[in-house]
Amino acid sequence: MKQKQKMTAAAKNEAAWGYLFVAPTLIGLIILNFYPVINTVYQSFCKTGDFGKGNTFVGVANYAKVVAAAETWQSLWNTIKYALIEVPLGVIIALVLAVFLKNKIKGVSVFRTIFFLPMVCAPAAVAMVWKWLYNQQFGLINNVFHTNIGWISDPKIAWIAVGVIGVWSIIGYNMVLFISGLQEIPGDYYEAAEIDGATGIRQFFSITIPLLSPTTFFIVQTRVIGALTIFDLMFMVMDRTNVALNKVQSVVYLFYQYTFTQGNKGYGAALVMVLVVFIMIITAILQACEKKFVFYN
Amino acid sequence: MKMRKLMAAGLCVMMAAGLTACGGGSSDSGSAPAASGDGKSLTINIWDANQQKGIQEICDDWSAESGIPVKVEVIDWDNYWTLLESAASGGTLADVFWMHSDYSQIYMENDILLDLTDYIKNDGVDMSQYYQDIVNIYTREDGKIFGIPKDHDTIALLYNKAIFDEAGVDYPTNEWTYEDMYEAAKAITENTADDTYGVGFNTSNDQDGWYNYVYSYGGTIVDADKKDTHIDSAEGKAGMEMVRKMLTVGTPQQVVSESGTDSLFISGKIAMITQGSWMINTFYTAENAADYAWAMLPYADVNGDGKCQPEERQSCYNGLGWSAAANTANPDAAAALIEYLCSEPAQIKQAELGVTMAGIPGISEAFANAFEGMDVSAFDQIEAEGTLYARPGTRNSGVWKNPMEQAEGFLPAWQNPEDPQVMADACDNVAKLIRDAIANE
Repeated sequence: MKQKQKMTAAAKNEAAWGYLFVAPTLIGLIILNFYPVINTVYQSFCKTGDFGKGNTFVGVANYAKVVAAAETWQSLWNTIKYALIEVPLGVIIALVLAVFLKNKIKGVSVFRTIFFLPMVCAPAAVAMVWKWLYNQQFGLINNVFHTNIGWISDPKIAWIAVGVIGVWSIIGYNMVLFISGLQEIPGDYYEAAEIDGATGIRQFFSITIPLLSPTTFFIVQTRVIGALTIFDLMFMVMDRTNVALNKVQSVVYLFYQYTFTQGNKGYGAALVMVLVVFIMIITAILQACEKKFVFYN
Repeated sequence: MKMRKLMAAGLCVMMAAGLTACGGGSSDSGSAPAASGDGKSLTINIWDANQQKGIQEICDDWSAESGIPVKVEVIDWDNYWTLLESAASGGTLADVFWMHSDYSQIYMENDILLDLTDYIKNDGVDMSQYYQDIVNIYTREDGKIFGIPKDHDTIALLYNKAIFDEAGVDYPTNEWTYEDMYEAAKAITENTADDTYGVGFNTSNDQDGWYNYVYSYGGTIVDADKKDTHIDSAEGKAGMEMVRKMLTVGTPQQVVSESGTDSLFISGKIAMITQGSWMINTFYTAENAADYAWAMLPYADVNGDGKCQPEERQSCYNGLGWSAAANTANPDAAAALIEYLCSEPAQIKQAELGVTMAGIPGISEAFANAFEGMDVSAFDQIEAEGTLYARPGTRNSGVWKNPMEQAEGFLPAWQNPEDPQVMADACDNVAKLIRDAIANE
């Protein structure tokens, strides 16, 4: 007990230095993350004034409007659809690529660089290039295949087309994480399996997948959150008069429209709070799954 | 040992300082509006790169007299208002910048802009020489003036002679009605390749597009007193019915929303579009500019007498204002620069350079000659032979303007032009959008 109450001079000194060393991160977090979070929660209960002045408290009025609006649920469904494309495909393709590129084949670093490149490009530039690839009249895709498909303006397929851009952008990043995860699996397991006569495919499903599950779980969790907060793809690829926009726009896109185009920050804040709650629920479910499916050796 | 500790502590402080600096800067990164601070030079923010060179030249004339250097910075329209708002909230506005009718009221009410009333009075600036609609945009309800008219713009009909020749259709004339335009568009759509259309416009081609139909047929988007709309009146619906008819022979909405009417026109896929005078340079510098020509907007022969009365040919007009930041370090110099930029000689020079038409009526003839080889007199001519109406807007137009051009508004009608009922219903929906927005302001 005594030890807890009184610190020696040396221990105090050490603690002070400890605080000093975490201070930069802490200050950054408070200013850039905690303060905006609290402010967003506060604003979601306000009718916000011009230029951040003159907020008036309106209780749950914003929330009532957000929950009653059909476009809120449509955009949440759009966001989920996007996540359903990006996360599974982004993980599976990246895993397959990682298994191939883990080995010392010829030009491995070239391939790794090529697959990682989309991650280095500015998302806005990526979206602009895809926008013109997809363009119905002048786009490369329709011209090469002699088709006439409105890739990003046909409500039935636009959400898939946007999802494909998301997958393309993320596989390089996922792949690098998978490669590092693969390198931590001891080679003995594979040797033992080979002696027992297991095929490559059998080895993949019985050794690689279970032992890689911590990495997979990490990627799935971060990408689910990333996909649910998607904004830039829709914003850059689709014009605001696009006939498919209502079937593609994400929750954050809607938030941007209300907050910055219409200047209704209170409504926008309430909208993102709904998204935050949804992401919390998904994260809780994922955490529950972790105990069941993830294998830590 | 002590030295090392000191250095470590110093590093920590620097890191913290670096982090917070990033935090402050993140809201206005890039070519953000920056406070001039020292007051010895002025910074100007504009959103049109086409005008940068000409504006800088006129500012340099002023610098030569006043000895105060001026720097013109361009931030594109989409980011201009987001950055201006964050700069206004954070107190880091440029000294002098453009104001627009969509936003002026909110900026004036919140005292973001420098009050120019006393400068105008003391320097004897005659505000009655400008277009009064534009003066009103930058005058607050209590009579204080926060901006001086910089220019005005009008709309004209742009056509591609090559496509007209190919389809064997006569070129547009200044005597055309909207019915004539429809017949020509129909003939071109039928007599050319499948992906080439006689006419094309997006729901977002408002000021430069379908607004003018509504006003020519006698409707309004927002009344002059900003209290109501007449888009759902019989006249407003007649205008939108003409729009619908035009759309039946026009480029499908799915196509224009993806590629944009300007790109489609320049690619030779649309024979006629209507565009504003601020866009001339885009077409003047295009590859096939020799094929392009301008005509006055058609008129709506509402009374059926076969002649154009001035109220039957309406063009939207708008004008930017030069404003200064309320907290600029050098308000006297900022006000003097604004007064110079809005003076008659500077505005004549602006027209001569082909930057824009002037904010003062009757001195824009020089503008018609600024584009050698391209006749742009239609923009000036409509002022004499038609009627100019001020760009419709309310206090916070963003609330109704975007929804009006999306699924809650006219988008379904643009997608189904064959069905008159869809357009009529859309007019009712839009009227409700505008009235709700006005009620909430």
